[in-house]
Amino acid sequence: MAAAARAAAADTGFVTCQNGDALSVLDLVTGEERARWSVPGKPAGVAVDPDGDVFVVSPDSKQVRRYSTAGEVLAETQLDGGPIGVASDPARGRIFVSDWYNAQLWVLSSETLATMATLPADAAPAGLAVSPDGAWLAAAERDADAVRIYDTETLALARVVGVGSRPFGLGFAPDGRLFVGNVGSNDVTVLDAPSGEVLATLPVGERPYGVGFAAGRAFVTNQYASTVTVLGLDDLSVLATIDVGEYPEGIAATGDGHVAVANWFDNSLSLIDARTLKVTATFETCDGPRAFGAFILPGDPPGDLP
Amino acid sequence: MNRRTLLMTGAAAALLPGAALAHGPTRQKLTTSVEVAAEPADVWAVIGDFQDMSWHPAVVSQTGEGGNEIDATRVLFLSDQGDAGPKIAEVLYKYDATKMTYSYRITEVAVEVLPVTNYSSHLTVTARDGGGSVVEWRGAFYRGYPNNDPPPELSDEAALEAVGGVYKAGLDALVERFGAPAS
Repeated sequence: MAAAARAAAADTGFVTCQNGDALSVLDLVTGEERARWSVPGKPAGVAVDPDGDVFVVSPDSKQVRRYSTAGEVLAETQLDGGPIGVASDPARGRIFVSDWYNAQLWVLSSETLATMATLPADAAPAGLAVSPDGAWLAAAERDADAVRIYDTETLALARVVGVGSRPFGLGFAPDGRLFVGNVGSNDVTVLDAPSGEVLATLPVGERPYGVGFAAGRAFVTNQYASTVTVLGLDDLSVLATIDVGEYPEGIAATGDGHVAVANWFDNSLSLIDARTLKVTATFETCDGPRAFGAFILPGDPPGDLP
Repeated sequence: MNRRTLLMTGAAAALLPGAALAHGPTRQKLTTSVEVAAEPADVWAVIGDFQDMSWHPAVVSQTGEGGNEIDATRVLFLSDQGDAGPKIAEVLYKYDATKMTYSYRITEVAVEVLPVTNYSSHLTVTARDGGGSVVEWRGAFYRGYPNNDPPPELSDEAALEAVGGVYKAGLDALVERFGAPAS
């Protein structure tokens, strides 16, 4: 994992910009904007598969598109409702899309984006995440103050777990615990997805939105506070509060020990060193970056390098 | 008179149940600024008190609690009807007199008064190169209609236009008050 090798195999950020109807393709080492795609319909949700499929949800035009990393539209569909969040289950060739307005989730074919099934949810489902082992799908239901856990294999509802007020974004830690940002109660609920047991409720900054993980730590973006709260995964203590740009939203880990944070108001991406907890770089993006989902494509793993 | 900007949609201010909780799919943002001749400290002395928004032509009177402390509240009355007329309730969530900036949210407003939900805003004074000040007012908000396919008066565009009107009215009044920089 030498730094020199990483330069040739940089992670790529696919940053959805809702206000700008665009997507910035960013080299997450140099900050170079390799491309800026025009993405009509106010894109918000994004999910990047390890093999390079980029799924983007445009809530305004109700469209979901699958792009290649080069920006080619490979598939497109329009859904009847309010699509917002997206998570991919590459092992089963499916993606999940939340329907903000109709209390349901769509299950779409990754290949064609054809609707394979719909799953009943509760009010205003938003953030979606698939567990690291691929067994569980979690959906934050903003207006139900709850998270639903589905069995990704059978698509059966497994658990409904009450969390804090107005959960919107969520993410699974590498150890499988689910972290849920509650924008209404300014805290994070940590829970065990299979059992539905709530393990902890941790106060963070104002309007916690997204959760990312790196270096044994959880990073929570606080929209109104313009900060990132850092929690230790071992004891869930608060390790730091880091100033970033204004309205930090989407957050995800790079392969080289950083987390990248989309600053919606500032049109920028902050890169945080997950060990030193310092902001090491700030990159420009298109207008209104949300990056709501797994927006980073890892660079070549070390084994693939010459 | 710009007071009309806020009042033209009428005072039939029935609150939409749940409007403050649900919101549309796309958050809007707006940044507006003006340059004035007065130095930052003089401008801040006029606009830096959360409990005194009399510098804005749309604000007829106001009440409030908590001064400029975090979580201080204010209610802006936009007519001579006071509490019975159109009004906006707000809460302060950041205040820094040294940096001459404060941030607040709307806690309650009828969409007939201002067609937005989940509104937050910053007001900041900085020094202008060559003398005078720059006053920046920026906001983030969702449209007034929380559901799909909004009517035109509660669309994203309507929200942007209404907030833009409020900002322009306030900032124009500051230029009138302090004058524009000479160069």
